Parts: sequence; C-alpha cells; structure tokens
Amino acid sequence: MTNQVIDRIRDALRVVIDPELGHNIIDLGFVYDISVIDGAVRIVMTATTPGCPAIRFLEEGAANAAARVPGVRSVDIVMTFDPPWTPSRIEPVVRASLGFAAVN
Amino acid sequence: MIGASISRWTMSYFAAALAWLFVALALMVAGLGFPAVHLASPDTLVLVHVVCIGWLSLAMCGALFQFVPVLVARPLFSEKWALPALGLLTAGLVSLLAGFLGLGGRLPAWLWLLPLGAVLLVGGFGLVVVDLGLTAWLRPVGPARFVLVGLASLCATIAFGAMFAFAHAGWAGSIGETILANGVPLHAIGGLGGWLTLTAMGVSYRLLSMFMLSPDVDDRKSNMTLAAGALAIAVAVVGGIVAIWLAFGLNVVLSIAAVLGLATAALYGRDLIGIFSGRKRRQLELNTRMAVLSFVSLAAAAFLGVVLVLTGTFAAHVGAFAFLAVFGWLSGLVLAKLYKIVAFLTWLEAYGPVMGRTPTPRVQDLVAEERASKWFVIYYVAVWLGTLTLVAGQPSAFRAAAAMMTIGLAGIVREVIRTRRLADVAGSLRLPDGACTPCLLCARA
Repeated sequence: MTNQVIDRIRDALRVVIDPELGHNIIDLGFVYDISVIDGAVRIVMTATTPGCPAIRFLEEGAANAAARVPGVRSVDIVMTFDPPWTPSRIEPVVRASLGFAAVN
Repeated sequence: MIGASISRWTMSYFAAALAWLFVALALMVAGLGFPAVHLASPDTLVLVHVVCIGWLSLAMCGALFQFVPVLVARPLFSEKWALPALGLLTAGLVSLLAGFLGLGGRLPAWLWLLPLGAVLLVGGFGLVVVDLGLTAWLRPVGPARFVLVGLASLCATIAFGAMFAFAHAGWAGSIGETILANGVPLHAIGGLGGWLTLTAMGVSYRLLSMFMLSPDVDDRKSNMTLAAGALAIAVAVVGGIVAIWLAFGLNVVLSIAAVLGLATAALYGRDLIGIFSGRKRRQLELNTRMAVLSFVSLAAAAFLGVVLVLTGTFAAHVGAFAFLAVFGWLSGLVLAKLYKIVAFLTWLEAYGPVMGRTPTPRVQDLVAEERASKWFVIYYVAVWLGTLTLVAGQPSAFRAAAAMMTIGLAGIVREVIRTRRLADVAGSLRLPDGACTPCLLCARA
C-alpha cells in the first residue's frame, strides 16, 4: 500500500519542472527520497544551484503536487544540497535530449 | 536560506536603465558630446554620466538587488531601500545633467545643481552600498568578494565625483580645484574599472556557472583575478591621490595600474575558459553566446589599449578605447544577461506560484532566441563599427553607427517586453489557472 502511494506521489511530482532545464524533477533526479508514514509524506529533494530564487517554488510545487495524491494527509519537503545534484542523476534519455556531455 | 526571493524592484531598475541608454544613444545620433566635441566638454560630461550612471549603474544595481542574495544565499539586508535609492539616483542624475548643461551654456548657469545632484547621488548610491554591502559582508564567498570590491570602488568614484561637483560650483577650495584639474582619470578608472568591471566579472562567474551548469571557479583562481583587479584600482586611486598631492603627475601610477588591469583581464579570460570548458550543458543559449561577444570586446579593448600605448596615440584615441570598453564589454554583457534575467524572473513570477498544480512552460518558452539574435548582432556590429569610426576620426560615420546601435537596442527591448508579456508562450500553456501576466515594471509583492 505504502509503495503504491509512493509511486503515485512520484507520478504526481512529474508536473513540477525545473524551469531552466525544462524537465520534471523526477526525470532530472532532483528527488532523493520519498517516505510515507500513516499518510504523512516526507520528500527529500535538491535543485541545481543553492540560493537560486526558483528553489522556493520547486519546494512549494512539490508540496502542492504531493498533497493532491489520495491518501496523503501532510507533506514535509526537505531541501538539501548534500549530496549536491549532478547531471549523472538525470534519466539517460532526458540527458541526451538536453545535450549534456556524456561523461558528466 | 536555501533560495532567494524575487527582487521587487529589479525590473524597475532595468526599465529606467534602458530608458537612459536610449537617451544616450539619441544624444550620440544627434551629435551631442564626444566625438563632435572634446572629451572634457560639458556636453560629453552629460553623455558620459547618462551612460555610466543612468544606464550601466542602474542596470548593475537592479541586477545586484536580485543576485547578491543568490551569491551569498542570504536575504537582502533591506528590500525597502531599493525604491528610495532608485528615486534618489534618478533625481541626482537629472540634477547633475542640468548642472552640466548649465556649465555648457545650454541652460542657465545654476551651478548649485551640480552639488545638489552629487548629494542626491551620494544618498542613492549610499543606500545601495550599505544594503548590498551588508548583505554580501555577512558571507563574503566567491563572486561576492568581487561585488564588495566593486562597491568600495563605487564609494571612491562617488567621492571623486562629489568633490568635482562642489569644485565646479566653486565650493571646494583650492584642494577641490587641484583634484578637479588632475583627478578625472582616477574617477573614471574607479567607476569603469572598479565598480562596473569588477562587479560585472563577479556576477558573470555565478551567472555563467548557473546557466551552463559549470562547476564554480576555484576560489584560489578567482581570488587571484580579484587581487590583480583590486590592486589595479588601489594603485590608480590611492597612488593617484598621492601623486596629485606631491604634484608628481599621473603617468607612472597609471602605467602600473594599466599593467595590472591587463593582468586582470588575462586572468579573467583564463577563468572564463575554465567555466566554458567545464560546462555540463553543451548547447549555449543566446544570452551566453552574446556574452561571449562582450568578452571578445573586452579582449579587443585590451588589445586596442596596448596598441595605442605602443604607438604613442593613447591620449588621442582614449575615447575609442573607452567606447569599446563601455558599449562592447560592459553594455554588451549587461544586455545579454538582462535578456536572460528578465525571462527567468518573469517565469518565476508567472508560473512559480502554480507549480505542482498544473503543467507550466519552460523559461526557454518565454523567449524567441532566433528572432532576438539578429538584434544583438546588429548592436555588436554597430559598436565595433563605431569604435573604428572613432579611431579613424569620422564623427559623421560614428553617428550612423550610433543609429545602428539604437536599432539593435530597440529590437532587444521589444523582445524583452514580449518576454515580460508572455507573448511568445504557446496559447495552451500561457496562462493556466491561477497564473497571471507579470507587471511590466516591477514584481508583485
């Protein structure tokens, strides 16, 4: 049951995009962890650049998207830069479409 | 703080700055100021201060109110000071320009307008320096150090400028007269070299790294670049004051500062090559490609400066050198980055609040780069042609180049306004439920 909710949350988070890269935060590998205990959701996520003004909107967007999933009672977003995000976390197909260097 | 807020008044600064740039270009097209008249003439003073305060300083301040918090990952010391500062700077500049026009006989000779303008400008820049300085001082890391040195240079520049304004009005005594007679190069170096160039370098490190996903420049390398630049400014300003005090002349001091300035440009070039070669996004967006043309202009200005010195013609062509540095390097970089910053901030304002509730466009969907690129190319080609006409001593051809720059600028501004209006976003994504078009001239509170 919990795994199903996590899958639904993961799907819901695909509506949240990084405005610069133009792809959703799941495919970009921004979401480090999703845990659910009795409907209380905790999402650990990151962004490309600390201090960027988009971060607050990514946090709020992720919280909004997760809160719309049936069975979710509360959402706690933890924004972290440890470990820092790297393009190696991007889904390979998306990475190719973004024109990223293969070695990175 | 993990993410900075949207600066409410950055767009207002950008709009005012672009309006002043149009004024400057109109003056050049009309043939007012250099090269039609001497560099030190009152008409040229009008033109120079419209460009350096009205255009470049306002654009830089607007960008810094948004990006200093990003650089240091801390909130701005006071968001409330930005608008009063803009008002003081605008009023101060208008007063200063009216004073210069009086000095040249185009208006009644109310020379008290010059010190009044200086006081207002000191007030406006003072608010900016304290606000940004206190923000950056709390966590002076990486590029923020460039901003701090830039702000210190701004203080030196406005101190010289205020002294000149009081001296023109006859209120600064013999010391003021001496500094007015000899200190203009120090004022110009402090403003163009310290305040505008070092700050632009610092901000460019961060913006280029952010938008190309490059690793930040190693602190040891950027510190070396900054040390060379800060030393160049310190030698010029402090050494220059001592030289004026001792009546030695400025040649030795300015030569040392020039060598250090060249070293700074070379080290900056090395750092830029590192950022570009380490980038993870291989495809360059328009703003980065156009920024490259500004870096080329900086290198060309350095080369031109060396050639002019070696041929003993620097004094005769200092106007061409300054023109290339101001319009190719500084203005080119500011326009390229302004194009990107407006799109990015507009996206945050329009679509940030509805993220997670509905599909949203990308930042790239707000701009039409192919259409915009031709305006930038027209602008840069006009600047380079303008530089050649100045070197060749062709004032009429220079006016034609200025007209071409105006056409390029008008095209760029049209693109920026379209971005702000979300005019290029596909219909289905343009205004999803809950999203609204941002205000043209400021961000909503």
